[in-house]
Amino acid sequence: MTLRIERSLDAPRWLRVALPFLSLILAAILSGIVLELSGHDALGTYRQIYSASLTSTGGLTATFVYATPLLFTGLAVAIAFRMRVWNIGGEGQLYMGAIGASGVGLLLGGWSQPLVIVAMMAGGIVAGALWAMIPGVLRAYLQTNEILVSLMLNYVAGLAMYLLIYDSQSFWRDLTSPTALVFPQGKNLLPAATWPGIQLGSFTLPLGFVVATVLAVLLFMLVRATRFGFEMRVMADSPNAARYAGMRTKRTILAVMAISGALAGLGGASQIGDFGHVLDPRGLEQAQYGYTGIVVAALALYNPLAVVIVSIFIGALTNAGFALQGPSFPSGLVGTMEGIILFSVLGGEILGRYRLRFGREPRHVTPLDAAGAEADA
Amino acid sequence: MATHVETGPAPAGTATAGPPPAVAASGVTKRFTGGVVANDRVTFESRRGEVHALLGENGAGKTTLCNILTGLYRPDEGDISIDGRAVHFRSPHDAHAAGIFMVHQHLSLVDSLTVAENVVLGWSRTGGVRYSPHRVEAEITEIAERYHVRVDPRARVWQLSLGERQRVDILKALYRDARILILDEPTTVLTPAEIEQLFSSVREMVAGDRTVVFISHKLPEVLEIADRVTILRKGRSVTTVERAGTDASQLARLMVGHDLAEGRVRRATAGSGSQAPLVGPRTGSFFPTGGVPTAGTSVAGIGDASGAVDSPAPAPMLRLDAVCADGDFGRQVLFDVTLGIRPGEILGIAGVAGNGQRELAEVIAGLRPHTKGSVRVGDEPLTSGDARGAIERGIAFVPEDRMGTGVSPSLSVTENLILKAYRSGAAHAGPVLLMSRADAEAVSLMERFDIRASGPHALVRQLSGGNVQKVVLARELSSEPRVVIAASPTRGLDVGATEYVRSVLVGAAERGAAIMLISEDLDEIVELSDRIAVLYEGRVAGIVDAGRCTYEELGLMMAGAA
Amino acid sequence: MSGTRTTRSVMAIAVIAALAAGCGSTGTTTAPSTGTTASVAPASVAPASVAPASVAPASVAPASSAAASVAPGASAAAAAVPSLTPDAAAKWTTSHPFKAAFIYVGAASDAGWTHAHDVGRLAVQTAFGGRVETMFKENVPEGPQCAQVITQLVNQGANIIFGTSFGFQPSFVAAAQKYPNVLFEMATGTEQSANLAEYYGAGENGDYLSGMAAGAATKNGKIGFVAPFAIPEVIREIDAYTMGARSMNPNATVQVVWTNTWFDPAKERQAAESLVAKGVDVLGDGQDSPTTGQVAAAAGLKWTGYDSNQESFAPNAWLTATTYNWGPYYTREVAAAMNGTWKTHFYYGGFNDDFVVMAPFGQSVSQATQQAILAKEAAMKAGTFDPFTGPITKQDGSIGVPAGTTLPVYTTTGLSKYSIDWFVQGVIGSAKG
Repeated sequence: MTLRIERSLDAPRWLRVALPFLSLILAAILSGIVLELSGHDALGTYRQIYSASLTSTGGLTATFVYATPLLFTGLAVAIAFRMRVWNIGGEGQLYMGAIGASGVGLLLGGWSQPLVIVAMMAGGIVAGALWAMIPGVLRAYLQTNEILVSLMLNYVAGLAMYLLIYDSQSFWRDLTSPTALVFPQGKNLLPAATWPGIQLGSFTLPLGFVVATVLAVLLFMLVRATRFGFEMRVMADSPNAARYAGMRTKRTILAVMAISGALAGLGGASQIGDFGHVLDPRGLEQAQYGYTGIVVAALALYNPLAVVIVSIFIGALTNAGFALQGPSFPSGLVGTMEGIILFSVLGGEILGRYRLRFGREPRHVTPLDAAGAEADA
Repeated sequence: MATHVETGPAPAGTATAGPPPAVAASGVTKRFTGGVVANDRVTFESRRGEVHALLGENGAGKTTLCNILTGLYRPDEGDISIDGRAVHFRSPHDAHAAGIFMVHQHLSLVDSLTVAENVVLGWSRTGGVRYSPHRVEAEITEIAERYHVRVDPRARVWQLSLGERQRVDILKALYRDARILILDEPTTVLTPAEIEQLFSSVREMVAGDRTVVFISHKLPEVLEIADRVTILRKGRSVTTVERAGTDASQLARLMVGHDLAEGRVRRATAGSGSQAPLVGPRTGSFFPTGGVPTAGTSVAGIGDASGAVDSPAPAPMLRLDAVCADGDFGRQVLFDVTLGIRPGEILGIAGVAGNGQRELAEVIAGLRPHTKGSVRVGDEPLTSGDARGAIERGIAFVPEDRMGTGVSPSLSVTENLILKAYRSGAAHAGPVLLMSRADAEAVSLMERFDIRASGPHALVRQLSGGNVQKVVLARELSSEPRVVIAASPTRGLDVGATEYVRSVLVGAAERGAAIMLISEDLDEIVELSDRIAVLYEGRVAGIVDAGRCTYEELGLMMAGAA
Repeated sequence: MSGTRTTRSVMAIAVIAALAAGCGSTGTTTAPSTGTTASVAPASVAPASVAPASVAPASVAPASSAAASVAPGASAAAAAVPSLTPDAAAKWTTSHPFKAAFIYVGAASDAGWTHAHDVGRLAVQTAFGGRVETMFKENVPEGPQCAQVITQLVNQGANIIFGTSFGFQPSFVAAAQKYPNVLFEMATGTEQSANLAEYYGAGENGDYLSGMAAGAATKNGKIGFVAPFAIPEVIREIDAYTMGARSMNPNATVQVVWTNTWFDPAKERQAAESLVAKGVDVLGDGQDSPTTGQVAAAAGLKWTGYDSNQESFAPNAWLTATTYNWGPYYTREVAAAMNGTWKTHFYYGGFNDDFVVMAPFGQSVSQATQQAILAKEAAMKAGTFDPFTGPITKQDGSIGVPAGTTLPVYTTTGLSKYSIDWFVQGVIGSAKG
């Protein structure tokens, strides 16, 4: 029995659709083995995941609380990576978006709610986009590596948040309330700056998620059907061909960076408006939404519509992860299960590009095996 | 032609009862997804110490067969044997261990490493001796001397020309003591002098009892170098013939399955060229249909073709005035190039590869800034390095690197056809591209330009080289350009596609475009051009009328001796 | 130490993992955990018999160290368990246990802050056996996710929920309103309501004593301090530490280097080494890892630790440390909740109730120094001494606390220990971080 791996140039379409699901089944089996080996009831655990993330009181709501920021950062990564602009800076752009949106929200807190919400979104978009333009400009005009620049800027953005809340008497910082004297914290936004969720029975759908879903559809159409999307696709596939065709590659890189940053920044605005209502450096930093967004986008194969699904999936998983862990179920085991799932899905994706063949050929016979082994040595 | 009596293919060299063949494939079948049968029960044998040519048009299955022989693919059916023993290669590594190597058309070298480092990369001999640059360099120099593959072992690969890189790949195989060396269309990237050098290396190799499998679709080369020839057609092995018992017309017939009507688009060939210098060949239909036979096959000399191209002497459509430009590494590569091409004229640019041809084309196409001088289309000057401006002023460019530059390989035929036109008003409504309209256009262009693909949504990377070039031509010429820059437009194409491409260029000239034809194939330049400019070390060494010059004259200019 | 622990783990690594293998962390559960901490209790848990002996007669308390309450079968622990009323005993049974939940910002195995809390949780479990089911969620980020975790715990039937990080406070305030039948307790926080209580302890008193040990140990008068964040809680600890040091050596100075992290051994090492390079001969720290001690040991210096007994990490450098003993408090609170006698409160523990406990002295601490320290501890217990009693001079020479005034723990108006934002004389460095 032999196993052969061959490059398969064009996998059939059904396989590409079925693969993620097959991968999930595989992940469930592998996780089940790990669970049973570590003395847990696999089926019971899965039942718990299901109920914690979907059916329990507040479970679905919690899933979407986790999913919303991941949808934003996942889209930000998807659009950039798709065009081979490696924006790792979603984390920092999200911070900057949070700074911008909370600043706007604090400033305009007295206005009518719809106006404040729109202004906060704009604040997040502008801040995130401008922050992303830094690596964008450097890449477009000085050919610097945007991976490094955008990554480093994450730390800068993080420090900027700390500066505003911890190390300065900034506009964002709460300098008056007694609690804030004990531990530095941001000013709480007024109720008008609270984004209303959409209430469906006991389930609350965050406004940010709705906005992001609409954006996902728009992005999908942007890439698919517009001139700009066409330029993006050519540039991603062959930068030489793009230049040859007279496309303005620098502008497109900048535009893609700006869109990517705007999405992440809007995610930061959603963190403020939908959930936090205060600029909270530690909370944002611990969550690492920007980095998780890379995983989300990768699992979604950089397809904006798939990012919606994957973000809900990862949101449910994170949510269930907290539900599962406890004295007899360490968070490390939860992390292991999550890792198995991600590994299976991405591994399945790679295998989808190759062909796996099981054959019954005799274990031959090549007179060259020995020579080959020698050459290996 | 076509007058030879069908003698039937000679038996495939099985008569000899001598030693087993160095490498043999029997009944090899390879299918790809999508139902393409690239090899269909192919049988092939090559002896020790011979040059064995694999002859066939593009897409005949030559490269697939060799990829199977070198372990890159596994055959779906059939057997491979080396020296009579069956082998099952699971990877190129196995094949290398068996002494069989292939020099691909697309070389896989690491640009930033030296020649010596590339040669030893991934290879460790038993004995575990550490890499010692001096010893390896000495060994490489020795091999290079013996086989006439001169290259500086300490040079970095990015500094080398394509021809030199190919030599590095050959050295790599020889350094590993290749017993069987497969050369996949090695001459496409070479200048005539380099080809001669390659052939002498090949002869040296077979003299040392090595086997060289030579993939080609160029008859003169095959006739010159091969001992035996196996012909593939549409994935099947047609037959194997001895060089001594065949000739060009027989091989051509075997290869294409029917007689070639050669010279259809020739404009200035010897003998008959003067009779139909302009109109006749330019009304070329796209594919040989048997009409209007013209000249013979001889390329021995240049006759006295008509020079009366420019009787009304219109103003040049494209004018370069003292153009200077730098190369990729900041070194000046173009020096005061001054040229003019009139509407309807084909100006050939001849020269040994690397004398500024590529940069010249890029400057005109706006892909490379010029540092001095001016480029004008009609009366409008082009902005330096403005590709879009060049396109908008009617400059079409058929780039040398068609896969890497001329198309976006992972996009569809339609999308590649609108690669430039997507900006035009008809292609979009607001920001939205009108793809169904583009598809309809694409279908009609595919028909007009004979692009063979499963449909407008087929991905360009799935097409054969000839069809890719047709996509490029369809895009570039359907825009009714005022100027066409064609860089090596027929390189790597089979006979049919080559003729087709030439006829399209001629047709464009007839419609009044100014054509610049850059080619390393001197025959092609001589056949198609009205005038020929020779580039030598970035300067125009001379401009001559195609009908009035001789190969000798051109050769001297190309060598910098004129 | 206020519990805003960070899991500012390894972001770059997460990214690389995500890029390379696509199986990076999902951001919230990055820190590896070995789960139940009983099996990995580090050397910080001293045997029950050691602590009282070296802490001296004044502080004889049966369960004076955290270890006592987890030591299997330790009779001292059993004796300390508050009793349940008959009603409570009837109500909470093995088949219907009381559920006590803990939300940790870090990993239960972090060998520091969170670990100390988890030792407390296990003390609760040991004390009540099957009548109580303890649960915990670790690595919970501050911010909106905390609210979701609280909801889950309520769904899972939690009767009382402890939060161990200041950053959880907004979520706890909201949850206390939303779930009036669940009891909430916040470590290090400030907000109170009918079902939300606050608890913490006077770590600064311990730091004063650690400072005394450092002041006695320094030969050149230069002490270095590796400090996490420039927040009142840390500032008051450094102030107390400095005042303690100067009570032994009036010329001693304490040089501060900020790490801006609670737990990051690499940064802590850098900070400690920079202090060594400046010529200090005693190191103190307010960090969660014992890295500073290892640097001190390597340089042949002395060291005061923090959070738990870390002597084994650098025995030759070890002087002492302030440690927190959460177990008895948690046990009392859970008992009160089970009995139905729980009331909201702002608990600030100290030496008196063995909430704050000094770790054993190192070998190099002289008898005289030990006597001086124990005398101060006794005075604190007796309520006759508080480090933050005036006159206290600020770093810049102005008066911080006038004579005759003692800073309150926490007020919503004016200066308190919870809001102090200036250094006392003798500290070198900026209180602005």
